[in-house]
Amino acid sequence: MTKIISPDEANQNSSFKSALTELLYQLADDDFILAYRGSEWLGLAPHIEEDVAFSSINQDTMGHAVILYQLLEELGEGDMDVLAHSRAPKERRNAVLLEKVNGTGTYLQNPNYDWAFTVIRHYFYTAVKKIKMDSLKNSTYQPLADAAARVSIELFYHMMHWRTWFQQLMLAGGEARTRMESAISQVMDEMEGVLTLGPKGQEIIKFALIEHDQTLKARWQAVMIPVFTSVNFVMPESMGMKSGNGRNGEHTADLESALAIMNEVYILDPAANW
Amino acid sequence: MTKGFYEEYEVFSRRSDTAPMQYQFSLLAPNEELALIMAQENFMRREPASDIWVIKRSHIRKMTLEEKETLKRLDNKDYRNTKGYGYLKKKWRKYEQGMLDEKEIMSWGGNQP
Repeated sequence: MTKIISPDEANQNSSFKSALTELLYQLADDDFILAYRGSEWLGLAPHIEEDVAFSSINQDTMGHAVILYQLLEELGEGDMDVLAHSRAPKERRNAVLLEKVNGTGTYLQNPNYDWAFTVIRHYFYTAVKKIKMDSLKNSTYQPLADAAARVSIELFYHMMHWRTWFQQLMLAGGEARTRMESAISQVMDEMEGVLTLGPKGQEIIKFALIEHDQTLKARWQAVMIPVFTSVNFVMPESMGMKSGNGRNGEHTADLESALAIMNEVYILDPAANW
Repeated sequence: MTKGFYEEYEVFSRRSDTAPMQYQFSLLAPNEELALIMAQENFMRREPASDIWVIKRSHIRKMTLEEKETLKRLDNKDYRNTKGYGYLKKKWRKYEQGMLDEKEIMSWGGNQP
């Protein structure tokens, strides 16, 4: 398929555009909600320098969401602030894994967050994201290929950061190892939801916007297996979508409460100029 | 250099007690005691120095070529570089002006019979 080089050109082919916007919502919504979940660790991370490092990563990730929502705005989907803040949960396309709370309690009351779950979720997601971005560099929608090349630049650091935490905690033994192992199975229960391209997957693949999700999945496993071997653990083969398929608009109460908190100030005055 | 008797050391020094520690050069020495005196005698005879540090090069965790890729950043982070809050003065003046006007209007109302 020949490359589509501009939003105008994409708008001339409605089935291409529909597959493209579907993929863009998945990518943007994934980064948006995970950046928020990450930001909830501010002041709570288990190490003071990690607090700053993790916050920087969350800002980077929110920056990636901005780049992706911008592509949607250029396609005529609406103002990017509205896309990010005002869409109902059922319109969201993010994987359910990424909307899940960090642990029990809330930011303000008894935040009993799970660092092992956070490390595994961020590490596994970042590794998938890197593989998707590498594939998107050859996307038939040129503005997306360009965006993927930009986003990839910061993923080297994100990968090194999470791989280091993963290996250190896995090899620490004791409670760390136990909690990490339980977080791995918790995350694998939902991991399919991150990898799937959803109900419009066939269309997305047909237009060569990104490679087949089975190809991406195999590539992800190929990247992860040596890392698992390095920490003496057999990577689980099976994965699922235990709490639903976010690409279908299926979400949990965790997403609703996250959006309500995130939008609290925005809703006061959506037209305000900050 | 054959590995064994001599090893590479990196030398740091500061010119005064309040100056920042700065990287200077490397040298070969059989141990850190000799590295320290070699650093002092060979390179700092004419330079004032208030402190010298030496460390075996192999003890320094350096970045690999691949790791250097992690240092690249996107140019979308203006918010991390606040250039002071100079604009606030102007903003305050505008609002103070607004309050003054309101006060004035109120006082006109008060003067009505």
